[in-house]
Amino acid sequence: MALPLHERAQDGDSDGLVRLTLAAFLEPLSAAAAAAPASIPNAPKKLIPERPLKEGEQYRFHFNMNKCIGCRSCEIACNEQNGNPAEIRWRRIGEIEGGTYPDTSRHYLSMGCNHCLDAECLKGCPVDAYTKDPATGIVMHSADACIGCQYCVWNCPYSVPQFNQERGVVGKCDMCHGRLTDGLEPACVNACPEGAIEIEIVDMLEWRSDYALAESPGMPAAGHTISTTRITLPPNTSTELERVDTGRILPEHAHLSLVFMTTLLQAATGSLIFALLFHAARPTLLLVLFAITALALNISVFHLGRPAYAWRALKMWRRSWLSREVLLFGLFFSALTCLTIATCVDALPMSWLIRMHAAGIQPLQRMPATTLALAASGILTAVLGIGGVVASAFIYLVPARPSWNMLHTPVDFLLSAALIGTILPTILGSTFAATWTGHYPLWPCIVATALWIANQGLRILRLQRSKIFEHRASTTLLNLPGQRTALIGSFVLAASAPAFVASGNAMPACLAAFGAVLMARYLFFVSVVPLNMALTFTRGGTH
Amino acid sequence: MWSRLKRAVGVDTRQDKYTFHRDPVVGYIATARVADTWIKTTCGYCSVGCGMLAGIKDGKAVTVRGNPEHPVNLGKLCPKGLSEHHILAAPGRAKQPLLRKGGLLQPVSWDEALTAMIENFGRVQQRYGQDALGVIGTGQLLTEEFYTLGKLVQLGFRTRNFDGNTTLCMASAVSGYKLSFGSDGPPGSYADMETADVILLIGANIADNHPILCQRLERNRLRGTEEQPATTVIVVDPRVTKTAMMADLHLAVKPRSDIALLNCIAHVLIREGLIDRAYIDAHTTGFEEFARHVGEFTPERVAGITGLSEETILRTARLYGNAKAAFIGWTMGVNHSTQGAVTVAAINNLALITGNIGRAGAAPFSITGQCNAMGTREAGFTSSLPGYRKFDSPTDRAELAALWNIDVDRIPTARGLAYPDIIESAVAGKIKALWFIATNPAVSFPNYKVLEQALQSVEFLVVQDGFHPTPTSDFAHLVLPAAIWGEKEGTYTNSERRVSKANPLVAPPGEARIDFDIFLALAEKLGVRDELFPGWSSTHDAFKEWQRVSAGRMCDYSSFTWQQIEDNGGMQWGGERLYTDGVFPTATGKAVLLSVPYLPFTEQPDGEYNLILNTGRTVEHWHTRTKTSQVEMLESMVPMAWLEMNPVDAAKLKLKPHDRISVVSRRSTVNNVELRITGIVAPGQVFMPFHFSETNSNLVTLGAFDPISREPNFKQCAVRVEKFDKTLI
Repeated sequence: MALPLHERAQDGDSDGLVRLTLAAFLEPLSAAAAAAPASIPNAPKKLIPERPLKEGEQYRFHFNMNKCIGCRSCEIACNEQNGNPAEIRWRRIGEIEGGTYPDTSRHYLSMGCNHCLDAECLKGCPVDAYTKDPATGIVMHSADACIGCQYCVWNCPYSVPQFNQERGVVGKCDMCHGRLTDGLEPACVNACPEGAIEIEIVDMLEWRSDYALAESPGMPAAGHTISTTRITLPPNTSTELERVDTGRILPEHAHLSLVFMTTLLQAATGSLIFALLFHAARPTLLLVLFAITALALNISVFHLGRPAYAWRALKMWRRSWLSREVLLFGLFFSALTCLTIATCVDALPMSWLIRMHAAGIQPLQRMPATTLALAASGILTAVLGIGGVVASAFIYLVPARPSWNMLHTPVDFLLSAALIGTILPTILGSTFAATWTGHYPLWPCIVATALWIANQGLRILRLQRSKIFEHRASTTLLNLPGQRTALIGSFVLAASAPAFVASGNAMPACLAAFGAVLMARYLFFVSVVPLNMALTFTRGGTH
Repeated sequence: MWSRLKRAVGVDTRQDKYTFHRDPVVGYIATARVADTWIKTTCGYCSVGCGMLAGIKDGKAVTVRGNPEHPVNLGKLCPKGLSEHHILAAPGRAKQPLLRKGGLLQPVSWDEALTAMIENFGRVQQRYGQDALGVIGTGQLLTEEFYTLGKLVQLGFRTRNFDGNTTLCMASAVSGYKLSFGSDGPPGSYADMETADVILLIGANIADNHPILCQRLERNRLRGTEEQPATTVIVVDPRVTKTAMMADLHLAVKPRSDIALLNCIAHVLIREGLIDRAYIDAHTTGFEEFARHVGEFTPERVAGITGLSEETILRTARLYGNAKAAFIGWTMGVNHSTQGAVTVAAINNLALITGNIGRAGAAPFSITGQCNAMGTREAGFTSSLPGYRKFDSPTDRAELAALWNIDVDRIPTARGLAYPDIIESAVAGKIKALWFIATNPAVSFPNYKVLEQALQSVEFLVVQDGFHPTPTSDFAHLVLPAAIWGEKEGTYTNSERRVSKANPLVAPPGEARIDFDIFLALAEKLGVRDELFPGWSSTHDAFKEWQRVSAGRMCDYSSFTWQQIEDNGGMQWGGERLYTDGVFPTATGKAVLLSVPYLPFTEQPDGEYNLILNTGRTVEHWHTRTKTSQVEMLESMVPMAWLEMNPVDAAKLKLKPHDRISVVSRRSTVNNVELRITGIVAPGQVFMPFHFSETNSNLVTLGAFDPISREPNFKQCAVRVEKFDKTLI
């Protein structure tokens, strides 16, 4: 589809401002320069394409590192264009340097969205708020559709989408789509005093087969999402250019609501399975699990930037693990509700049943079929729960967050379910001993704890020895004083849980198990170091 | 409540605040940035003097854009300029006069404030003499305001001790130009940077400090091809600045070895016959002695002084000497020195012996600092009389007396104390009252402890500023809230002598008043208004008188009106370049070739203070951050200072990146600075941005001043770096 690029600019009637904000860049500024003998053999360059896109083409940014002087006008222009608050930067500047004085090299990166061919933000979005604009290839985000789950923030290897606290939704660079459609260059392109940023056309198929020009020091590998931004690197690349922001890695958002939500749902699932295995799924326990699940789901809803639209999260279950998680836990909750009601009714004393019968209510009959149905729905609930836990783990298996993207994550989620699940039901055992007849063995708890600790420990060892910077940086974060205390605490608590169980202290055991998982989960969130473009030394204004 | 709930559940996403609009003027843009009226103006930060269009909506400035038709910037702005509208409604603006009563600054009426000021100044001057009042003006004022202030101070308050904060940045350029050419006035234009074959930037980090000038270099490069480049950019700087990275050749000299380098280049030029003998003979004096003097500066010797290879020096000299048009630009790396003025003269020498002056692309060009540093140089009454007249010239004084219709004896025959000497006199108890206008010495003045003494020892301290509190206004007995850029009308002169129009966009906040109005009100109370400012009510009246006063002078304003200035995107006094005829405003009409001695800088590192501290700026901040710290975007980009240290030194000191360190000099200590280990700085040198009052580099800088220009030597002092220990504070 043709966009009226330049037409408005060339009609000659436009207001002076519009005409000249257009990219008539690098024309001689002064009459003297124009009249100089060797006057401008190179024609002034337009910074936006002069022809419409053809089939199979899209727009992309071209960034010329040789021209950028790191002045940051593009960043300000972007925020002014989009009316964004200061802490949000849809375009960001990074700094890379290398070499030894005086042969030191320093260069800058200026990046908005890379409008990737395989945009992960888009694939992960549970509500289909992202579209790759068929006309331009621009990755667009709809604030109206967005529910503020921030999954795209995790998915993007460049940390491009940013959550706007004030709005409860995410936002990102749209290449100033609104300006491009009017034939005007994006705000960053317009603002750059050096003409270092421009919009050009790329053949998508060709680019997919060779995207080497998207690679740059200080940028995550382009292959993962096939970034379309072309970067012109300095000619002398013998100096290794390195990021200058790596010493200032700060802990990520703790997402406390997610810490609790995942822990509680894993606790509910694990406990249910354990109880079912040992025929202890009694009304009291189920009621407790029901309450835990209800609480967790409420937390998850209010974790969103726009809780009122939580239901939309179901939309993309065919594509998004977040949708699948919502769906599976939703079904788990429904099944658990049914199971709880049925079990409660089933457990009512016979006299109540007769009274209800007299009142014209036809309750469940005490028949072998009922027992079978209960067992079946128990199994179904358990399967849905495991499904939910697994889907939940898959949410975190995102390449853009390397220390999450490990086998240890699903293993941790399942083992956490086991750790709490093998202990939580025992409280009810001790408290409501009168109505409980079964006996839990101790070994599942010991096994679960041992595996949980092993998994956590192995994960940290692997992070520490990894070749991937973000992995090692995660261990640096885990080594911060507060974090280290929490880490040690989680191991101590986990180890003490079976000891409490063995000594008959069910309640402390349960608290210890919860404490261990909550602490470990908290660390899981704060210690992740996302992939990102290189930022400046102060990392100011970005996160 | 209801709306908060709607937001909490996400029904409301503040969509109304984030809508977009197709504006007929600027195109598709956030509705919040849509203006209903546009006003042309000039940026109020640096001296590049970019033309702007400010968008106003409902009496508020909602946006600024580069004026595409302005010849200086052709629509481009740096990040400070692009966000300049945010400073107008910033929370830190001073909004009412405050008078110290019982130790506390308390709101008072303007009348009470100005009465207190007149009374206290009067009392001090009566008791200790007229010159016991010191006044420090600023390159932030309009030319009309600075002209008015000069008359008020010198003829109204009758103290000679009046100077500008420009002494902290431009005085050496002024003095150097005077030494060589007999007058101030940068001879070239920005356009010369587009046509020069060689551009030599000395101590000028334009990418950080004057980013909008960088496009000139890019344009120049576009004239050539890869095989035949149009220009060679040479950057002389001990630090690998952003600008050094743009250079074809970076001369990483040892600190303050620039005079040796410049003399050596002259030596090579003369030795190899790369000089313009005809120009030298016709338009300069002192060549024989100069040639003898630079004869000692052999490449072999200077290689040792500068740390450069002989080959590099020879290459630089030959590039410069063979250029058809060579341009030298400099800023604070040259000026911020005890030898600043003569370094400027050494630069001028190169231009003179090669005839690289007064032609397209050829100029020794001082890139100025503040938006109106140049205007204050022209309107003067500090280091010279208005219109580049001289205190010691009876003719000049008589001319002014006639223009002003006053007795000639009222015009001083010599300048009063310069800025640093005013401060030292305050410490010595000779200056007893101080008045600072739109400047923040508590951050910008070197050797803070001495300044602090000065501020504490005067009997009455007035701080007139657009912002309060500032580190300086904290000391004040009286704070006068003033209007800033965007709230007043008049002219600024940029580095290339272009007089541009600045226009009011909005009304000043609260009770803040335009500086000009404050000056007139003071004149009124002083009883000199009718005599000094007859019939004046606006800055335009000052402009009209200034036109008459500058008529026939080098900086002649008489040929253009405010309207013409605005319509033409500024007017350059003296035309596109000065000295096209080779005639200089000296007694002989010839320029002077000055033999400039090379001296090592004052405070050399030693065993105890083993590192050389260099200071400078970042692109995100302006001077002492009173303005830019109020712009959230800029502040969040660079919220704190850091110290750059070479990995070699860091290893010796066992320091790691991001360690908190203290910078210790003989004078004081800057505590809790973040360490940046980087190859940007040389071993033995450290660098720190000076914008931050929280970690004020001027706690440790040296109170040494150029004997001619009185400019401080901000750029080199001896320090040591220690790990910061919180418990020691």
